[in-house]
Amino acid sequence: MTANVSLKALSHNFGEFQALDDINLEFAAGEFVVLLGPSGCGKSTLLFILGGFLTPTEGQVWIGGQDMSPVAAKDRPTTTMFQDYALFPHMTLRDNVGFGLRMRGQGKAKRNAKADEMLDLVGLLDKAGRKPHELSGGQRQRVALARALAVEPEVLLLDEPLGALDLKLRRQMQEELKIIQRKVGTTFVHVTHDQEEAMAIADRIAVMNNGKVEHAGSPEEVYLRPKTLFSANFMGDLNMIPEAQVGRAAGAGTVYAARPENIGLTGDISLGDARLTEASFFGTYHRCHFQTVEQGGQTYVAHLPIGALPLEDQTIPLFASSPMTLKADV
Amino acid sequence: MRMLGWLYMAAIFVFIFLPVIVLVLFSFQDSRLPVPPFDGPTLKWYGQVLADRGMMEALRNSLAVAIISAAVALLLGFFAAQGLARVKLPGSILMRGLLIAPMTVSYLIIALGLLTVFNNLGFRPSLWTTGIGHVVINLPLCFAILFAAMGDHQKNAERAARDLGASDLQVLFLVTAPMLKPALLAAFFLSVTFSWDEFIIAFLLTRFDVTLPVEIWSMLRSGLSPATNAIGSLVFLVSIVILILLELTVFRKSKT
Repeated sequence: MTANVSLKALSHNFGEFQALDDINLEFAAGEFVVLLGPSGCGKSTLLFILGGFLTPTEGQVWIGGQDMSPVAAKDRPTTTMFQDYALFPHMTLRDNVGFGLRMRGQGKAKRNAKADEMLDLVGLLDKAGRKPHELSGGQRQRVALARALAVEPEVLLLDEPLGALDLKLRRQMQEELKIIQRKVGTTFVHVTHDQEEAMAIADRIAVMNNGKVEHAGSPEEVYLRPKTLFSANFMGDLNMIPEAQVGRAAGAGTVYAARPENIGLTGDISLGDARLTEASFFGTYHRCHFQTVEQGGQTYVAHLPIGALPLEDQTIPLFASSPMTLKADV
Repeated sequence: MRMLGWLYMAAIFVFIFLPVIVLVLFSFQDSRLPVPPFDGPTLKWYGQVLADRGMMEALRNSLAVAIISAAVALLLGFFAAQGLARVKLPGSILMRGLLIAPMTVSYLIIALGLLTVFNNLGFRPSLWTTGIGHVVINLPLCFAILFAAMGDHQKNAERAARDLGASDLQVLFLVTAPMLKPALLAAFFLSVTFSWDEFIIAFLLTRFDVTLPVEIWSMLRSGLSPATNAIGSLVFLVSIVILILLELTVFRKSKT
């Protein structure tokens, strides 16, 4: 099952603190949405409101064309995959996964069959009779996913589900999440502060900061054509380009910037002569720090292709191409 | 050195268990006084105690008071712990302190206080008032044990259950209670033992129907007899049974 989600003018306050400030977002049915932002930006609050664990101070959540305001958490067409798994320690994996179906009054045979099917989906069918404490972290995470999907929710909410896993396992789980999401077609709303994770799995990324959505769009849009300086910075390394070098004013409240891959030995905007101060090898590119000779020494980070590395301390003319125009932080 | 260690351990065990061993041994004494030399064994004192209707009634009273007061203390302690662990209230630290405070007050003071209150309210001393007294002393214990056992882990599992469609009652019976089972059992059995052994409150707050410790006390006033040893051994046996039950249910469970 799957459904679209509309967030209409959502605001939430914790006492004096404004956690969410007038959020308006539309997620299409079957989309893999990632809410991305630093801690305290309101992304988890937004997820809790979607799940019905918090009542927003203002605004509404609509799922599948229905206003969710009067619907309690237990009756919503959403389920959540929690960061700490929140498995039931006294139940077997099969009973854990079947719990939601049991709450919906399904008979034992039927719900066990469904639980086994879901465990098979996440590759843990052979452990169906085990208890959660016999599993590794990654396996528990898979059980949590199977449990949340067993009730065929229209929207699955994922609260930093991969935060506790080591890097390699996290990358692997990201791929699995994406594959499973494609298979079941449910709308996924995934919260993370890891920009690489967001790029790896999302159909759409909503970058959040200070309770507001800075930019929502496809990973390409958010990375290549970010709207604000904050989202550009959060999505990756950024070089500020002085207006004087571009040759035209950026406009009130906006600045020019370029990604490291758009700084190099050729380009349409000259940045002047610069000295290579540091370089490190990243396998597919050289990450280089340059310091310009003039202008009181502005620094640039550039990703140069393999083989194009100048000598250390060598001074070369540096260029930028296709700079982005960004709304500066208020 | 090794030998000394073993000797020390043996000495400690003798120190702890000698009184109990003597008590049990002389309950089988064939003569009229439970003092050496030991001549026996005989079961006649057990026969006499078990045939003593007053004693048996006191034993039944004690069991009833222990089980009911422990159940009430457990229920109230659970509600208090659940409330204070889940909801952030102003002054919740103070409330927690107040709930645990009675543990530091001597049973005698609690009994005197209850006696005064019941007198003023016009309640006659009875098994009920004793039961209330035992709830007063066991509630802080139950609260402390259960509160300590409730963590974020539990809170998150409850939230997950609600997320999957469980009602509040289903959360309570299918998630909260099973997850707290070791703590619930420990609190209950400890409360039962404390109530079962308790003398001062029971002495001051009962009159015609009495609990076993009070009955034993009145028996002691007419002098020592192997019969008191026999009833003492029976009380000891009950405590042992509770301990074994606790061992089998709580401690074995918590290992898995």
